[in-house]
Amino acid sequence: MTADAFLFWFLAFVTLASGLSVILMSNPIYSALCLAMTMVGISALFVTLNAFFIAGVQLIVYAGAVMVLFTMVIMLFDLKKDVQAFTKGKFTGAVKIASVGLLAGLVVGAIAMSVSLMGEKTTDNPVMVGTGMETTKALGNILFSKYIFGFEALGVLLLVIAVGAVALARSKGGTHEH
Amino acid sequence: MNTEFITNIGLTHYLVLAALLFVIGMAGVLVRRNVIVLLMSIELMLNSVNLTFVAFSKYLGILDGHIMVFFVMTIAAAEAAVGLALAVSIFKRFNEVNIRFFEHLKG
Amino acid sequence: MNHSLLMAILILAPFVGFLINGARYKKHSGNVAGSIATVAVAISFISAILLVVDLISMPAEGRRIAVSFFEWMAIDKFKVNAGFVVDQISAIMILVITGVGTLIHLFSIGYMHHDKGVAKYFAYLNLFIFNMLLLVLGDSLLVMFVGWEGVGLCSYLLIGFWFTDKEKAAAGMKAFITNRIGDAAFLLGMFVLFITFGTLNFSELNALAPTVAESTWLGALTLGTLFLFIGATGKSAQIPLYVWLPDAMAGPTPVSALIHAATMVTAGVYMIVRLNPLFIMAPNTMMVIAIIGAATAVFAATIGITQNDIKKVLAYSTVSQLGYMFLAVGVGAFGAAMFHLMTHAFFKALMFLGSGSVIHGMHEEQDIRKMGGLKKYMPITHITFVMGWLAIIGTPLFSGFFSKDEILAYAFHSPMGSPILWAAGVVGATLTAFYMTRLMALTFWGKSRVSPDVHPHESSAIMTIPLIILAILSVFAGWIGVPHVIGEHLGHMPNFWEHWLHPMISPIPGWTAIDHTTEWVLMGCSVGLATVSAIVAYQFYVKSPETPKKIAESIKPVYNLVNNKYFVDEAYFGGIINPLINLSKNTWYYIDVNFIDKMTFWAGDLVRGMGSFVRSVQTGNMQQYAMYIGIGVVVALSFVIMR
Repeated sequence: MTADAFLFWFLAFVTLASGLSVILMSNPIYSALCLAMTMVGISALFVTLNAFFIAGVQLIVYAGAVMVLFTMVIMLFDLKKDVQAFTKGKFTGAVKIASVGLLAGLVVGAIAMSVSLMGEKTTDNPVMVGTGMETTKALGNILFSKYIFGFEALGVLLLVIAVGAVALARSKGGTHEH
Repeated sequence: MNTEFITNIGLTHYLVLAALLFVIGMAGVLVRRNVIVLLMSIELMLNSVNLTFVAFSKYLGILDGHIMVFFVMTIAAAEAAVGLALAVSIFKRFNEVNIRFFEHLKG
Repeated sequence: MNHSLLMAILILAPFVGFLINGARYKKHSGNVAGSIATVAVAISFISAILLVVDLISMPAEGRRIAVSFFEWMAIDKFKVNAGFVVDQISAIMILVITGVGTLIHLFSIGYMHHDKGVAKYFAYLNLFIFNMLLLVLGDSLLVMFVGWEGVGLCSYLLIGFWFTDKEKAAAGMKAFITNRIGDAAFLLGMFVLFITFGTLNFSELNALAPTVAESTWLGALTLGTLFLFIGATGKSAQIPLYVWLPDAMAGPTPVSALIHAATMVTAGVYMIVRLNPLFIMAPNTMMVIAIIGAATAVFAATIGITQNDIKKVLAYSTVSQLGYMFLAVGVGAFGAAMFHLMTHAFFKALMFLGSGSVIHGMHEEQDIRKMGGLKKYMPITHITFVMGWLAIIGTPLFSGFFSKDEILAYAFHSPMGSPILWAAGVVGATLTAFYMTRLMALTFWGKSRVSPDVHPHESSAIMTIPLIILAILSVFAGWIGVPHVIGEHLGHMPNFWEHWLHPMISPIPGWTAIDHTTEWVLMGCSVGLATVSAIVAYQFYVKSPETPKKIAESIKPVYNLVNNKYFVDEAYFGGIINPLINLSKNTWYYIDVNFIDKMTFWAGDLVRGMGSFVRSVQTGNMQQYAMYIGIGVVVALSFVIMR
């Protein structure tokens, strides 16, 4: 077993385990911590895929900013253990689980069925095997040339979101007089 | 036993991993009642999608997948911000974070 | 002055009057409303005179003032202008309409002054004049049709003017619906003519008419003219569509004078005269017109004998006289028809206004059995009424004499006429003399049967002046159309009328000059019979009032038949209207309610059921929605994979 394979299996285990914990923990603060763990795992997976820059961004944005946001909100609410963490209803619950299971089966099945196809289309040792800096440079080039419009649009979106979030949070809960 | 599957890590492995993560997130959205956990589950799903993007990007040798990851991340952050702002505002008003409670928010 | 300006003033002055009075329809001052309306029509009359003076100054062959204001519509080859023409025929009409119209407006001021809706009344009256002018001035059938419909509307509004009385409102509706039947035929006629000639313009139609020869007995030309004639029977109250006119007397009396005697009801005659080159090419239609006209003239006259309502007598008399005009048209005597149209407008308007004066003086009493001896209470009304009476029964040298005898001469001598038609005309004239004398005798002469609490009085000057003017016209208007046979004994007096209309009238095929002896004999016959009949009526109703009752007793079945107007209304109800209503009710109930409605309800229930099913899905539970999305993804994905 090579180091690469070992690393993948280890990270896959960590990610899946912490991901499952996110939805199984009844205390939201534990869920948040598990989610942070998942983020870190995914970031490490990005590294194994040679996406160093993305991995860094993942750590900074998700594990850093977004998770802080979540924990802060949870602290703000001062939530203890949820009285009823999961939805009731045996039938709908069964349907939900079944649909989730079916989806998983289908996706995995689809991937398994197209393995042969993937072998043809993919290059096992692609161009981006160089050092992290080269990939990042190429990324910057493509982001500021080919995708400049999307980039700018995202900037505007973020501005709108910032204003909107402030406006929402400032309101005294709801738009109606009370 | 054929150890090829275990030792030789390829695109398939990443895709299956991402699919499982996505399904976990989806299960969370479906069964959890806390709005904040719901939002976390959505983040989980988005992350799994990111994973597929990067995996494909590597195995197809095209960088555009990374760009897509940027976009998804930005939108995910934005969505989290707005969703949490809404949750805060609703919590302040009704002192409640149960998703079933929102059914009554009509008219 | 500029012709198009004059034409615009002529047409629009009454319309402006209508707008002014229509805007102040709630006002009660009859004098103000009446003055506005009368001045509007008088302006119209003055511009009509100016236009006709200009027309006279033109050379005889090119007498025609045509004004086209704008292109109304153009659809491929079908082009209609808002064009108006004053020529020899419409000149007569506009003078009659605006002239008699002005007098009747003036009379109305006195007659209607105490009515609450007086402003509305004058607004309608002005609107009527406007539409009537459109009708007679329009240079194509379509423009004429606008006026044709417009006068129908005004007629409806004015008949039902006192609409709070259910019977009067019903009379208005009867008039409107009966007219609609005719109008439908009129439209069909227009379609046929347009298909045949590709135009609806009068001058083009008349120019094209001689080029179309009828090969079959019912060709396009005959069909088209026949349809137009059916339209005319509706508007001009001929058999079988005359039933509305007697009921139309529910309206105010000046309205009966203006619309239902002098102007609107003659529109059918005018339309046929306007298209005379077309009609003369369709001999079958002409025959039908002559027969219907003669039949109506006699038929209506017999009913007139038994009526006791002063206005009903005059109404049947109008129907009968219109029958004369159609008889004239039918035998090709278009000039004579126009002549009778004009003289009739004068004397019948006079008699209607006279009856209005009587009704007014008798405090709304219309039954002639409760009158009698009014001569001494209403001297002016009496004298003028006598003039009208003399004119209508055809007393020599009065206006009615010239026009009626010209018609009878044509009916006898024209290749299209026949002695039978002439005989019918003479019978009609005799009956007319009888019932008009009866009317005079019962109303003005003999012993008074007025109930003691009614005090008849003469009307005010504003009502008697129009009577006097119309009386003068009734006496002398005939002198512009003196036939040669009399004219040569009056210092070779020319027949102005014939000269005037000559360029517009198509010659009757196979016409030979009428021999003077024949003409004298014909004249003698009709005048003699009318005189005898008038004397008999005078004997009956003034000298021995018991005789008519005895006669009526002895022929009771016949009397009842005639007195009930031959049960025509009842026959229409039983034969047409009630079956139609039943059919409608049945279609309504079985097809609409039980089939179409049920189908729509069923469709509605289906949608509602589906909706209530789908609504159960929309719970507001967000996670359920997410589940649906998930299930959808699963289904779509499995579909893609299984394929």
